Amino acid sequence: MKTETVAMILAGGQGSRLGKLTKQIAKPAVPFGGNYRIIDFALSNCANSGINNVGVVTQYQPLVLNQHVGNGASWGLNRHNGGATILQPYSSVDGEKFFRGTSHAVYQNISFIDAQNPDYVVILSGDHIYKMDYEKMLDFHKEKAASLTVGVMPVEWEEASRFGVMNTDRTERITEFQEKPAEPKSNLASMGIYIFNWPRLKQYLVDNQAKNRQMDDFGHHVIPAYLRNSESVYAYSFKGYWKDVGTVESLWAANMEFLNPDHELNIRDKNWKVYSQNPNTTAQFLTDTAKVKDSMITDGCYIAGEVNHSVLSHNVKIGKNSVVKDSVIMSGAVIGENVTITKAIIGENAYIYDGAEIIGDNGEISVVGYGEEVGGYKDAE
Amino acid sequence: MRNEIAAIFNLVENEDKLRPLTNRRPIASLPFACRYRLIDFPFSSLYNAEASSAALFISESGHSLYDHIRSGATWGLDSIAGGGVFTHSQIRLKTSNAEENFTASYYDDHYKYVTRAKAEYILLMGSSMLSNIQIKSIVNYHNDKNSDVTIAYKKLDRSIFREDSSYSAYEFDEERQGRINNITPLTEVGMDEEELAVGIEVMVINKKTFLDYLQKARERNLCVSVKSLSELALEDNDKVYGFEYTGYLKAIEDIKSYFEANMEMLNEDNFNALFYRADPVLTRSKNSAPTFYGENAVIHNSQVANDCEIYGSVKNSLIFRKANVAKNAQVENSIIMQDCYIEEGAYLNYVILDKHVYVKKGARLEGTPENPIVISKNAIVSGDEK
Repeated sequence: MKTETVAMILAGGQGSRLGKLTKQIAKPAVPFGGNYRIIDFALSNCANSGINNVGVVTQYQPLVLNQHVGNGASWGLNRHNGGATILQPYSSVDGEKFFRGTSHAVYQNISFIDAQNPDYVVILSGDHIYKMDYEKMLDFHKEKAASLTVGVMPVEWEEASRFGVMNTDRTERITEFQEKPAEPKSNLASMGIYIFNWPRLKQYLVDNQAKNRQMDDFGHHVIPAYLRNSESVYAYSFKGYWKDVGTVESLWAANMEFLNPDHELNIRDKNWKVYSQNPNTTAQFLTDTAKVKDSMITDGCYIAGEVNHSVLSHNVKIGKNSVVKDSVIMSGAVIGENVTITKAIIGENAYIYDGAEIIGDNGEISVVGYGEEVGGYKDAE
Repeated sequence: MRNEIAAIFNLVENEDKLRPLTNRRPIASLPFACRYRLIDFPFSSLYNAEASSAALFISESGHSLYDHIRSGATWGLDSIAGGGVFTHSQIRLKTSNAEENFTASYYDDHYKYVTRAKAEYILLMGSSMLSNIQIKSIVNYHNDKNSDVTIAYKKLDRSIFREDSSYSAYEFDEERQGRINNITPLTEVGMDEEELAVGIEVMVINKKTFLDYLQKARERNLCVSVKSLSELALEDNDKVYGFEYTGYLKAIEDIKSYFEANMEMLNEDNFNALFYRADPVLTRSKNSAPTFYGENAVIHNSQVANDCEIYGSVKNSLIFRKANVAKNAQVENSIIMQDCYIEEGAYLNYVILDKHVYVKKGARLEGTPENPIVISKNAIVSGDEK
């Protein structure tokens, strides 16, 4: 059977504004919503859209990400001739091949895509939290006989100047692209989701590389080149929840929103499941001193304290008389007794000793890094 | 250890006392502790012993069991190098006088599995004795003693078992330490006897010895079980040794003991002894969302699996995956299996809801610790609406 579509998930970004949370791991591997890592949304969208051939392009701190993605079995991608493939920079006789930008990362992996010989390649970002049926977008792409379709979503006009904005005509054909314009002519922001006809894209990437023309970034180089050459470039409008959690504050806020049982992501929807790796662990154990309300808790947790309006990942321990409020606790974190945690993000495997206080204030979210220890014996100062 | 053990699961167990929970599933696939099934425990013991294959013999429909085990990958039983789960069902023929009869293929299947397995030892296990036993320790002991057959036992009082229990106790030769010289069915032991060496349905046998017993079992139409094989071994005066297991154990003989076993997991010591010793307990992982606890949820001394929504009150209970407890519903001292829905204002105390039970608004169910109410799979419990 011929492979019609290959998806390339660009997961190499650092996400430096996430501070401690992306010091050792890439942004797509940052935990979200108790049970997930950010890249789970893009991978699950692929699986639910019937795209089984997925290349995951990694670069920055890829260890956790690579272990998480594996062969794609957690998303049911490892079927027939499909699967997830981790694509990392490599060196060759032409020298090292670190990725200089989004389209350069695709250029460096032409041989991976060519091996599947697809008609279409879907370019995705591993950084975004959303549910989207790429098959519908592909249908649109075919219907318009487009060479490139760009996923866009309407944003507030005052926000538009933060994005790459697409101006379209009445047929949804893109006539102009403005990268972060001071005076936007449209409020359709690019989501960083593209469907290309593969042979054409490959030609652009290879030819320009040969001529030493810069063609390293989809937004800065490829889309403008397509528009200059009057390629048929269309905008596919997406409506629904879509979030780029670029900062500590937005990651925290997205988790807090996620606590709403009527959240637009509808995480319990059986028809569009969000898959992830599911660690083998016991059920949640809530002792007779536990108090839990308005919270999401994941298997393997042991709760003897109070949890209010918070999101807890796998295997979190919360000791007696500790109070966790408006916070995100990532997997394996151990919270001792008599600890107060408010408006905070506690990283994976962090250790908070008895009596410690971690309180975010003045709009600042308090962050404890992965494996970090807080409290306990005071150092002699 | 490389491929040293071939495991045979005799799942032809007496499930009558566990009806209706066992109407459509063997004891081995009874749900336990919110996200497990009983077979997970012996299978995890196999995993921790690095065994690579297992043969299952079950008597009736095994759908729930096969659905759970799949390829056996969870427990590392799917290796291309000599691995696999070999299932054999419908092997018991009940004759008109309720005597059990085993087909020729029942013995052929055992023979085929054992002779093909690259194993020195045969491990025989059941699923009705809940434990977290280390197979490696038994095999080491078996070697140390240069034993033909090693049987695992635990010192227990007669009174914790049913009067008509199907388990047996072992007696030791006083001259030779650890060597067993007699087996007595518990039914022949007085209820006030204490500290008996009760067999826990785990046996290690040398391959050659096993094949020898298999031939005898075939000739006499015996079930290939720990009990009948230990009888054969003692009859032949072979070297039979007892290995003492000192960890958590619960015999699941009837609804009451099944209920107790689950409730015992709300005790942290028991819970840790079974799940958090050095060896992990593995179960088939399922994709799930975190559990949501609502604004007015009350949750007290309970276990809850992922994918639930709890808006009401849950005390001293175990809630399996995808269950929903609506606001003002009260669940106490109960086991709520997967996919159950409990509507507003319902009250459950000492109840076992099998999977996918729907409890309507205002319904009241109240059992006792001795006799919890069991609601069968897919049932609808009507409430107070007229």
